[in-house]
Amino acid sequence: MKKKLLAVLATAAMVLGLVGCGQEAPASTESTETTTSVVESTETASTEETTEAEPVTLRMAWWGSQTRHDRTIAVIELYESLHPNVTIEYEPMDFDGYFNKLTTLVASNEVWDIFQLGSNFPTYQSKIYTLNDFIADGTIDVSGTTDAFLRIAADEDGNQVGLCSGVNTYGIAYNPAMFKEAGVAEPTENWTWEDYKQACLTIHEKLNVYGSSKFDDWQAGASMGVGQEGFDYSFFNNKNDGLGFDDPSMLTDYISMRKELVDAGAFPDPGACKEIADIEQDFVVSGEAAMTWVASNQYAALSEAAKANGIEELKLINPPRKKADGPAGITIQSSQMLCVSQDSKNPAEAAKFIEFFQSNVDANKILLAERGIPTFTAVRDALADELTDVEKTVYAYVDVVGSFDTGGKTVNPASPACTDAIKEQYNYYLEKAIYGECTAEEAAKAVYDFAKSQF
Amino acid sequence: MNKKKNDGSGRTGWNRFIYNNNTVGYVFLAPFVIGFLCFTIIPMISSLYYSCTDYNMIDKETWIGINNYINLFKDERFLNSIKVTLEYVFFSVPLKLAFALFIAFLLTRPSKAVSFYRSLYYLPSLIGGSVAVALVWKELFARKGLINVNLGKLGIDAVNWFGNMTTAKWPIILMTVWQFGSSMLIFAAGLKEIPSSYYEAAKIDGANGWQSFWKITMPCLSPIILFNLIMQLISSFMVFTQAFVITGGGPNDATMYYALYVYKQGINNRNMGYASAMSWVMLVIMSVITLIVFKTSNHWVFNESES
Repeated sequence: MKKKLLAVLATAAMVLGLVGCGQEAPASTESTETTTSVVESTETASTEETTEAEPVTLRMAWWGSQTRHDRTIAVIELYESLHPNVTIEYEPMDFDGYFNKLTTLVASNEVWDIFQLGSNFPTYQSKIYTLNDFIADGTIDVSGTTDAFLRIAADEDGNQVGLCSGVNTYGIAYNPAMFKEAGVAEPTENWTWEDYKQACLTIHEKLNVYGSSKFDDWQAGASMGVGQEGFDYSFFNNKNDGLGFDDPSMLTDYISMRKELVDAGAFPDPGACKEIADIEQDFVVSGEAAMTWVASNQYAALSEAAKANGIEELKLINPPRKKADGPAGITIQSSQMLCVSQDSKNPAEAAKFIEFFQSNVDANKILLAERGIPTFTAVRDALADELTDVEKTVYAYVDVVGSFDTGGKTVNPASPACTDAIKEQYNYYLEKAIYGECTAEEAAKAVYDFAKSQF
Repeated sequence: MNKKKNDGSGRTGWNRFIYNNNTVGYVFLAPFVIGFLCFTIIPMISSLYYSCTDYNMIDKETWIGINNYINLFKDERFLNSIKVTLEYVFFSVPLKLAFALFIAFLLTRPSKAVSFYRSLYYLPSLIGGSVAVALVWKELFARKGLINVNLGKLGIDAVNWFGNMTTAKWPIILMTVWQFGSSMLIFAAGLKEIPSSYYEAAKIDGANGWQSFWKITMPCLSPIILFNLIMQLISSFMVFTQAFVITGGGPNDATMYYALYVYKQGINNRNMGYASAMSWVMLVIMSVITLIVFKTSNHWVFNESES
């Protein structure tokens, strides 16, 4: 009897254990089933329009901060109340988590119906349902925006890969009070990296804080840095099938400057940089640094956090140039857009939502340009009345950057699939140089060789 | 029992089949076997296949033979990750085992409070691998974290734990040592098994505490030490969460442990084929080290039945 009881208990434990461990099992089998049906039904859905009343479920995901999550969810709820037949299941995520999950969904052919992409879209091109047909048949009405704004969310062949969520650019946010206290002149539009370095060193020396907080080194030193050498250069060429420069020394000066600043204590070392997990923890916010690298759409959040911390005013200026009269290296870009996936059962419904999201005035009064400056004229105008001073600064700054001379070149909005690997390698060699394991020249050469080997 | 059942219900083939002892055995075994096949064997075999391809999770993979394995040994980051992982294992495993044994030894006294303390010391092991605790350690050792503040009070200069290549590993090693609970419980059980008559006899012969520890406790406990050593070796080789959350592998790859580098290559850089190859090399390295430990154990593990 006792033995039987034991056996029963053991089985129960085993079954429970299996249920615990095996939770993934039903999900994964299900997914393969849906995958096949999705592929089949994509064609049928696009040919015969689904009737309005038919219930539709769309899945959507994006990355961003808590503010973005709250606002996006509010817009989804607004859309659902206007279209009772549509249900949108959403997944708000952080940047790394988002792309990790996206990669696995790509592999299992179940990418969310509506998803957010940045300039790395060529990596996922095979999963993007291009919007050209929807624009042609009027599902998406683009009369409220301009061709130029459409083009920043399109590839080289004119395929509309998504609709831009807002235009952005990069800049340097700085604390003018600290500049004044250290007796350093405030930066101007034509300031150079040499000015930047001297400002960092002086501020560090006088105030015993970091001159500058964490930078997006890849953007500042490589992507933008190469473009600052001259209008003919860019890190990747316009077709994204090779490099747009042939001299590794174009990467050297940023790396050697970074090392010099870290050695002097004027720039946080890699360990200190790790302490900044999001924009609210930036050393400019805590008063431990005088400048920081910022994407223009994050500037409002940065200023707000700084104000909460007792820092009266931040200002926004374009990043330093290599030569005072040389190219600025930055352009206005679609930092992110919403795309429809090839795996979607209802691409038309997904496209309708995207149109609503980007062009509806009520929706954008909830979103408040948190993803960047809207590209639909009506939305821009409607928001213009409600802007705070900080947001006006950003609008003005983006306009200034838009007016910078680009040497008559059109901007390449996309980056090739190997960008992540090259970026990883760049950061790796940058740290090696900072810790003195190789010289800036060797680091630049190694990054260049690696980047070249990717094509 | 068996016979009786067959007699009673042996009329149809189905009953004979279902009441057969072997069938019962297989039915009970099935949940594990199915789970093992689906979640261990099949992924392992597919990773062996992918390790010979350039699979990047997006495009169709192409077969590239053993190129991934060749490239591995040209990859300085890979070689560095082996080095720092071995270093981590070398420091963390002995420290953790020594600490676990020490606490287990303290908690062998026959007292009611002992079981309370045992549970208390076991707690970190329950929550230790979690992201939340790793975040706490990150804050503790931050530039202006609790550790540095207290060092300052003692008049010691603040240590830039995560900015310095030599100090970055210590918070991670300490965190591992802190999760000594499960080894401690196994040691405590082992210590209880040692007959107290041995100690009494040694005491009569005039042995002091130190001598009886080395001459009685250690030999009697050596099979348990072997078990703990192997378990901890294996889990230490797979260190991931702490480094991922606290240092992200930095500074300058000083804590870029093997599993973290596999993740970086596989998920961040989407070199799934390369990452699969790395995982297989990891399996070989771990097998070899475990084998060495087993082979040498003949010399230091005391087996009562042999003596």
